[in-house]
Amino acid sequence: MEATVSEQFGEPISAGAAPRTWGSGELTLKFDDGFDLARVERLLQQARERGGPAPETLCTLNLVAIYFNAGQYERAQEALEMAGTLHPCRLIVVIADGITPEESLSARVSVVRSAGAITVERIVLAATGRAVRHLESAMTGLLRAELPRVVVWGGRPHGDLMRRAVEAADRIITDSGARPPGYLAETAKLLGKGAPIGDLAWARIFPWQSLAADTLDLPTLREHRGNIRKARVVCAGAVGAEGLLLLGWMQSRIKRLEVRIEAEGEAEEEPASAAGPIPRCAPLGLGQVKLFEFEASPATFTLRREKGLLLADVKGDDDGYTANRVRLPPETPGRLLALELKILSGADELYAQAAQAAAKLLAAVRS
Amino acid sequence: MPYTPEHDEVPNPLRPGLRAESAPEPCALVIFGGTGDLAQRKLVPALYNLAVTGHLPAAFGIVGVAKSELSQQEYAQSMREAVGKFSRTKPIDPDIWQDFAAGMRYVAGSFDDPDTFARLRAQLEELDRARSTRGNRLYYCATPPSAFPTLLQQLKGAGLINPPNDSRFTRIVIEKPFGHDLASARALNRLIQEICDERQVFRIDHYLGKETVQNLLVFRFANSIFEPIWNRRFVDHVQITAFEELGVAGRGRYYEEAGILRDMIQNHVLQLVCLSGMEPPVAFDADAVRDEKVKVLRAVEPFQSPEEVARSVVLGQYTAGSVAGADVPGYQQEKDVAPGSRTPTFVALRLNIRSWRWDGVPFYLRSAKRMPKRATEIAVFFHSLPHSLFGEGATQPNVLIIRVQPEEGIALRFAVKVPGERYMPRTVSMDFRYGTAFGMTVPEAYERLLLDAMRGDQTLFTRRDEIEAAWRIVDSILRVSESKEFPPPNPYPAGTWGPPEADQLIARDGRAWRRL
Repeated sequence: MEATVSEQFGEPISAGAAPRTWGSGELTLKFDDGFDLARVERLLQQARERGGPAPETLCTLNLVAIYFNAGQYERAQEALEMAGTLHPCRLIVVIADGITPEESLSARVSVVRSAGAITVERIVLAATGRAVRHLESAMTGLLRAELPRVVVWGGRPHGDLMRRAVEAADRIITDSGARPPGYLAETAKLLGKGAPIGDLAWARIFPWQSLAADTLDLPTLREHRGNIRKARVVCAGAVGAEGLLLLGWMQSRIKRLEVRIEAEGEAEEEPASAAGPIPRCAPLGLGQVKLFEFEASPATFTLRREKGLLLADVKGDDDGYTANRVRLPPETPGRLLALELKILSGADELYAQAAQAAAKLLAAVRS
Repeated sequence: MPYTPEHDEVPNPLRPGLRAESAPEPCALVIFGGTGDLAQRKLVPALYNLAVTGHLPAAFGIVGVAKSELSQQEYAQSMREAVGKFSRTKPIDPDIWQDFAAGMRYVAGSFDDPDTFARLRAQLEELDRARSTRGNRLYYCATPPSAFPTLLQQLKGAGLINPPNDSRFTRIVIEKPFGHDLASARALNRLIQEICDERQVFRIDHYLGKETVQNLLVFRFANSIFEPIWNRRFVDHVQITAFEELGVAGRGRYYEEAGILRDMIQNHVLQLVCLSGMEPPVAFDADAVRDEKVKVLRAVEPFQSPEEVARSVVLGQYTAGSVAGADVPGYQQEKDVAPGSRTPTFVALRLNIRSWRWDGVPFYLRSAKRMPKRATEIAVFFHSLPHSLFGEGATQPNVLIIRVQPEEGIALRFAVKVPGERYMPRTVSMDFRYGTAFGMTVPEAYERLLLDAMRGDQTLFTRRDEIEAAWRIVDSILRVSESKEFPPPNPYPAGTWGPPEADQLIARDGRAWRRL
């Protein structure tokens, strides 16, 4: 089995957009020696009142996003806001920059309104140097009681902080697709211990999984359900987490499945401009799935991207035909994060099984 | 290999655990009445929005069937204008529209003419080839009810209805009103049964497609605090209101035949009664939910005598008045309405549900046209306190209000202490606005229902026995109210809350209508 495994992956859970400037409605506090949470809460109240009286504040979860420099957060800001609007929350962003030697502490607060109601209360806690030691307790003190705690993890899936996040959070969301594939193997280890981890790379392959399942539900193709023996995935440019997860999922569903993963071509360029007012599907990113094929003798099912569509071609004794197709959704990180936030606690067993199978597959690819 | 039911015995190994709902199979949707008001205002905009949200199968086509002589291009253009005007997503996305319109066809002809259906068949076969719709058909009868029997017979005659276990599905969506009374509803059901299977029939009531109506099921059965008090021990009475500002809006001919009882009570309002009164279903599937709904309707005591109707039902008809600051004509001055018409545009009535849960808890229903404002809601009034610590009349009963439209949401009224020295209770309202809470535009009811019909999910569609049970209740009123002996509807000026007799109806029980 031959494949290219690239280390050239993007930022974790970023919007894929140019960095945003801080919102004009943001209020800032700087601290000299440790945070003063009462002052942060008062500042939040001011932010709530700034846009006039809010009829209601909706909150369904605590969303904690952890990054290790300000740039990472700036790139992820739009995604977090979008997910927060769809899942009203208290968003606590923790920026722990331990590399910058100078010590500093700051809190920035703002609210996002949707049709008048406050749907996101955002608190950004930033620390540099040794001051990062204050972040964890400050974040804990600002969590809203009772509500689920979901952590968006912007770093490597290991270390003390990650371990404590796994212990304290109801769910942790990563994006193994934005990291070199080795990170998926680390995630799989944690999943093996029951860590409640979700993954945007997993959400990115939902359309492939659905189309494959829907195609096997077509009455004239149901006869092939019991005959799947081989599966193959082609990734764009390099083997990525999405392709590994797709094959891992197939292996976890079908016993004695022979699998193959390959890389060919390149990632797609970002479109220069959107053609219409409706968001388009994202361009094919590095390592993402380009083609997915499975054999159920005598039929071969080939799922492939074509313009904004995902097509399922079936070839058997005849010349073949397109049996099914779906429109690819606009997979922005915000939308993917919103999809993952539909589960607020516990592990997704299907993902855990797929990730562990994918980790074994990766080991085989590398050997 | 052709499909045989044995193939279903091997489960789909890829389906378990998937989070995404299954996509609809490729299909062609035929709209009878394809140029009509419903098609232009609701159906085609809803289908376009499903394309925008990526829920429509990519292999999809629409065939409009109507009398007007139009070319395919003219039809597509008229639908584009309709979508531009009535779609919830604007402006039209040219790329999505291009693909959507490429699957649009039109057949001109009369429903009485078998040749219309021969041409429809040819058009559908062409769509199968051009758009890979694979022989799956969804027929939507957006026509007056008088056309339903002809349509069904012509479809059957043209060989356009496949058996229910065929690999190519045939489904038929039938718009309300389903029949004119119990007898005609039964006759129509019998005809349907002769032509196709109940599993292929989707009787649509667009109220069930509204998010807030579906939320009622979640609210009742996903919260542990409400269900224990949702019964005669804690609930004093229930008020269900469906008020419109609009008059008959150019539909005088239809309304003269229907009236408020057929237009609103038999379907929308009784569906709200079912959802508020039903027991928890054993599962959340089509038959389990509908089994429980039909039990509510069967438990409703029909009106046994003219005296009982006179005591429990108040009918009204609007006269000229002012609504939203503008003069409006009376019902009898509307187009296609007969002078001296006895058609009611207002009804207030009291229902008794003879069940373990609801016996002794009256359900007051009211529905009307030309009200001061549009409002559809369910208000559950809880019992008054057995003893007030804070003085007689100092507290009001708790009320839970489920607003269906507008400003969809849930409100709970309860007493709190006014800050200060004395114990002075004041009733406040805790308000949850469902429509804006989740930062997304709530989909139109027809989007959900069309998608469910394409998926073959009948949960939000009315079953045969449900329709007949609802008609049994309404028929027991109509038999009396449409007789010459029954007094004509009470007049009320447009823009008022209805005739005073409606207030007296509830006041006799020591209660009052909720102020809107």
